[in-house]
This record gives sequence, structure tokens and C-alpha cells, in this order.
Amino acid sequence: MRPPHGAGGTAEHDRTDLLPPGYQVGDWVVTHRIGSGGWSTVYAARPADGRPDGTGGTATPPGLADVALKIMPTAGLAPRQTRRIVESARREVELGRRAGHPRLIGLLESLVLSAPDRPSLEGAIVLVMERAAGSLRELVDAGVPEADRGRLIAGICEGLAHLHRSGWVHADLKPENVLLGRDHSVKLSDFGLATELTGTHGYAPPMGTLDYFPPERWRAPLGELGVRVRPTADIWALGIVIHEVFASGRSPFAGATSVARGAAVQEYGEGRAPLRMDHAVPPFWRALAADCLAPTHDARAPHTAESLLARIAAHQARPQAGSGRLGGRARTAALATALCGIAGAALYSDAVRTTSAASPGREDAPTPGTIRVYNAEQDCRERVDRNPRCSLGLAIDPMLPYTAENVVPTRVWHGDVLTADCQMAGGEPIIDEEDRRSTRWFRVRLPAGSEPPTAWLPAVRTRERSALLDCH
Amino acid sequence: MRGSGGAVSGVVVHLPRGSGGADGGEPHGDAVTLRLGPGEVARFGRGSMAIPVELRLADRAISRLAGEIRVTDDHWQLTNHSTTHSYLVENPEGAGEYLRVPPRRVGAPIPFEFSRVVLPTRGDVTISFQVFAPDHLYLDPDAMGVPWGNSTVTAYSLNETATYFLVLVALCEPRLRDQSRVAVPTTPQIVERLREHPTCGALTARAVSSHIDYLAEEKLRIGGPDSHEPDRRNGKREEIVGLALRFGLVREEHLVLLPPPAAAGGRERQAAR
Repeated sequence: MRPPHGAGGTAEHDRTDLLPPGYQVGDWVVTHRIGSGGWSTVYAARPADGRPDGTGGTATPPGLADVALKIMPTAGLAPRQTRRIVESARREVELGRRAGHPRLIGLLESLVLSAPDRPSLEGAIVLVMERAAGSLRELVDAGVPEADRGRLIAGICEGLAHLHRSGWVHADLKPENVLLGRDHSVKLSDFGLATELTGTHGYAPPMGTLDYFPPERWRAPLGELGVRVRPTADIWALGIVIHEVFASGRSPFAGATSVARGAAVQEYGEGRAPLRMDHAVPPFWRALAADCLAPTHDARAPHTAESLLARIAAHQARPQAGSGRLGGRARTAALATALCGIAGAALYSDAVRTTSAASPGREDAPTPGTIRVYNAEQDCRERVDRNPRCSLGLAIDPMLPYTAENVVPTRVWHGDVLTADCQMAGGEPIIDEEDRRSTRWFRVRLPAGSEPPTAWLPAVRTRERSALLDCH
Repeated sequence: MRGSGGAVSGVVVHLPRGSGGADGGEPHGDAVTLRLGPGEVARFGRGSMAIPVELRLADRAISRLAGEIRVTDDHWQLTNHSTTHSYLVENPEGAGEYLRVPPRRVGAPIPFEFSRVVLPTRGDVTISFQVFAPDHLYLDPDAMGVPWGNSTVTAYSLNETATYFLVLVALCEPRLRDQSRVAVPTTPQIVERLREHPTCGALTARAVSSHIDYLAEEKLRIGGPDSHEPDRRNGKREEIVGLALRFGLVREEHLVLLPPPAAAGGRERQAAR
């Protein structure tokens, strides 16, 4: 495994371009090196003496004035390599300027280093960023305290929801890039690959971290603008991170190397291998991770960061939340309150699914199953906007003709996961757009307060074969 | 069917025309190309109704089921079902480098990106087929010296010692040298440019074309599975060069891989020949 940041002396790297403590960069003084990445080194720094407190307009409370300097050398590089680094810095600056948020690491300023005494660093690009206390990787390596896990994942979800809402894809989400404040607050970082969406997708440089690539990424073509990424790529990476947080850093995909695990991801993506998650992951989080790790973009698309956040909030808000686990109850309740606003906003579009997620489910004796809605029209499968044209109905009575009078007001969309009580075989025959015919129906639960409380989904509207009991 | 169409990562198995074909001594089958994703298996041999094979090799000396190829991680494994014969796996770009897979060996890992699997026959001619493993990963040059693990890497990495890379550098050379929008070299120009190369001087136009196709389809996966229109051939070269330069896959420092440039006027001399 990767050593924690800061471990591993400089000797093994044999780098001549490292800055000593006390070195002044702009208005900042280097205190120590935090870590080195592919083409950057990050240092801790404090304001230089005589610098007035507060960085420009930003009121910096005392004690939080420490910053991180991300230094990207450009000296000695060919123009094309420099362009790549400038491009990466530009993405960070652009995102910092336009999409700031408490869950994203703050960018204070960017500057170009003038270091005549150190030719290797002359002209290096410096990003001055909010200083974090550590990364989720360090916490995962050390073991994430049980009470903190849900809160951390909710924090990542908040960051992603904000990014996606602002029209960006992170494109390199991993525990190394999830930083933690001193209070363990979550801050997403490293937006060097972050991409602004144009329509449904954006283009990222052809880089990334293999362990967090969704199946489709392994065969993605390289285009003039880079490789196509969509928010569902971040959702996949989130699924891996959730698993790592609960399973001591293990990926859900087996293999000794990231290339081997990538091969396992592809086998799963092509339907030749099931998803095998660690039993250490509790049922709610396992279901959540499984949705994040749905094998295709289409299947993942309904599980937006916002809808996942709503499910987490609903889960944490359950009266028994935290029971069976030691501690963390008060903290969980506070989190749920904090999330209420967001959850409320998302619930309207997510009513059916939230119900299924909020129902304690698995612990109940007659286990209700879940079924995923399938829309036979391909262009509807590709949409995530819950367009009315792509909505599907649920019948009040499966024995009566499936007409407008026999349909409940609640609509469902492709990819929705419904809680199903039971099934019946001899209902009204339904033929779908692909000429599949079935007389089988599933009784599904409607959002709390609906009248009637249940309705019927025709079996042609799902591709899953369910082991539900017969109704009655 | 075990193989699936489209630009799927994994390995590509290619049986040249004339090696397969119908059972019973008729030696002229069409060329066969199979794509296998991770975990997928292709059997090879003479085959029969009872023992179907994905890759049929028409030679009486070859058993019904001669062996199996299994894709694992970024490479593949060879199982030898023969009880008497070893199979050779040659690296055509390895200056004679090869592996011998003994009889009954199960799952021998094959480390080459390009392999030629050679099976003995009773006659003088051997039967062979090729296996390409384009998923091999290479570290970024500017990320060296940093522990490899969870680092961010270039997802379309190239083997800078492979012949395809040499062809790519030759394709990019005019733009790397004067940075202008000069035309991308044609295949005959590449053949000529590499003629003085110590090991790749004998590359044929056909070989150069297939290296370009390999780069486009397997390494960079240009355009995706839907855009295999035959009339895009020239556009494809332009696209390869554009991507290789834009994303830094080929850089100025790679020009030393090419033979020294001909003296001024070299182009004109070639054109006159």
C-alpha cells in the first residue's frame, strides 16, 4: 500500500527541486513538505512575517491562516508538457473561482514562482490552497472510526452534489483527494482533471487513477478533446470509496494490483462476474455502494449525488439509526438535521426510491425485494432528467385493463429501485415496446402517505427476475 | 460466443488467412480475429462437433483441442493440451525472445504485448497465430521515482520501445520539428524515413499500415466502435498525430529514436526515384 503523505524521506526520491523550510514563496513561508505527486509537490506554509492578517478580502480567522502550496515545476520541460501543467492549474483555478463550496478545498491564489537561485523551480506554477489536516487515505489506512464513516461519506456526497450541480465532474475522486479539516470536515481537492460539462458530458485529459475507473472508462476512446467523462464516473468512484471506508481500505474488486482489479471491473461491467462486496459493509451502505457501482452509465445515472445524499439523510434520520453500533448517536442526529434542507429538496424527485431506501428492509422478517425499473425505449434509458415523456405508470388493479383510470398518480422512471412486496402471475397481459409480453405483476410500495399505499408494476418494466413470494 | 465485437480492452487473437478453414485437409480458411475481454477464454485446435473451438487450426497433426488462451489482468495465459509437444510463443519484436510452454502446462502467463504462438506440424511448415495484448500499462515519464500505487496515470500509455511507437514518432516528426501544420507523412514516406533504422529498416508498407491501425484501434481507441468507415483512412493519421502531440504521448525528446534526418533535399531525392 501507499505510504502516508510525508513518510518516505526525500532520499529515495533523489529530488533536487525541493524547497527547504523557511523558503519564501510569494507572501508565504514554507514550513515542511507534505507530499509529492506525479508532477507537483505540496508544502505546508504560513504567512510571511509582516504580512497583514487575512488574505485580501477573505477574512482568515487566526490559526487557520496556514496554507498548502501546490508547486508544479515547469522548468526544463518541453512547451507541450508545460502546456499540460498550465492546463491542469487552469482547471483548478477556474473551478475554485466559479464553484467554491465548504466541501471543496478553497483556492486562495495562484502565482508563478520566481526563484533565480533554484533554476529547477524558476517559473513553477504555485497554487495557494486552504490547508487540511490530512487525507481520507491516511484515515482509511489508520482505520476510520465507525462513528465517523457515514458522516464522511455524506460529506463527500455533498461535495460531489455541489460540483455536479455546478456543472463539473471531478474525474479523479479517491481517498487521497478527499482532505479532512482538523474537525474531520470533508473537503474535496485536486481538481487538476476536473471538467466542466457541456450538456451531458465533459472531456478530461486522458489520465486518472485505475482503481477508480468505471467499466466504460476502460474502453473509452480518446478524442480530440480528451476522454469523455460524465458525473456517473464520480458516482462509480464514490462507490469504491464507500467500500474502502467500511472494509479497511479494500476495493470491492479482487486482485493484487490495480491492473488486476481493473480487469475484474471489466468482467463485472460485461456481466461475467457478480459484484462481491465485503460483509464488513453494513446493509444500508452496501445497497448504496451497489447503486453507485451499477455496471453501466445508464444504470448509474439515476443515482445522482443528490439522491444518494437524500438516502443517507433518511437513513441517518431513522429513530434506530446508530442502534446496534456503539456511540455516534448524537453526532448522527446532528448530521441528519444538517442534511434536512438538502434532503427535502431532493425528495420530490426521489419519493419512491427514498421510501425504499428508508424502509429498514433487510432486517424485517418477510424480506421485501427491490426491483429496478427498466424502460424499453433506449433514449429514455439515457436520460436522467425524469422527463414526463419517459415516465412509466403503475396500475391500481392488475386484473383490470391498464388504462388511464387504472393508474396511480405516482410515476416511475428507468433505473428507479422500488420496494416490492410480492408478485402475481395471472394479471392483465402487458406488451412492451420491444414486444416482450407478460401477465406477471409486482406489487410495489408507494411513498408514505400515498393512497392507495401500493400499486402494481408490470413485469415487462423490469429486467430483473425476482424471487418474491406470490401475493395473497 | 465468447468474444465480443467493438473496441473492448483485453486481447486480440489473429489467425492469418489459410491457417484455419474447414476440417478435413482443406487448408484455405479466411483470416479470423477474436477479441477477448478479461476472464474470457478461447480454445484452439482442429475442433469437432463434440469439441468445438473458437480458433480452428486445420492441420491433421494438431489435436481436436490443442490449447486454450485465457485473458487475465492485462495479459493472457496459455494452456497446452498436447501431451507430447511444446508450443513456442515468440515475441516478434524481441530480437528472438521466446517462451517454451511444455506439454500439459496450465495457464502459463505470457508477458509479451505481441506474441506469435507456433504449433508444430508433421510437415516443414508450422502453424501459427498472433495474440496482441494492448492493455499493458507504462508509468508516466514525469511520475518516475514516486511510489506507484494509487497515483494518477496517463490512461493511454505506450511502449516507447515498440515498433508502433517508432512509426508514431515518424508520423509526428514534421510537426515536432517545425511545429507547423505540415501534412502528416504518407505510408511510403514512413517506410523511406525508417529505412536507415538499425532494426526496423525493413518495415514494409503493409507493416507500417498495420502498426497505424493498431495504434488507432487498440491503443488510442480513436473514434470508438461506431466510426469504422473505410474512407476515414487519411483522417485517422491526422487524428493519431493530433492526439499524440496534444496529450504529450510523443515529445521532442523522442526524435532521437529515428535515424538521423537525411541531408537537406532528401525528400526531393526520394520523390525523384
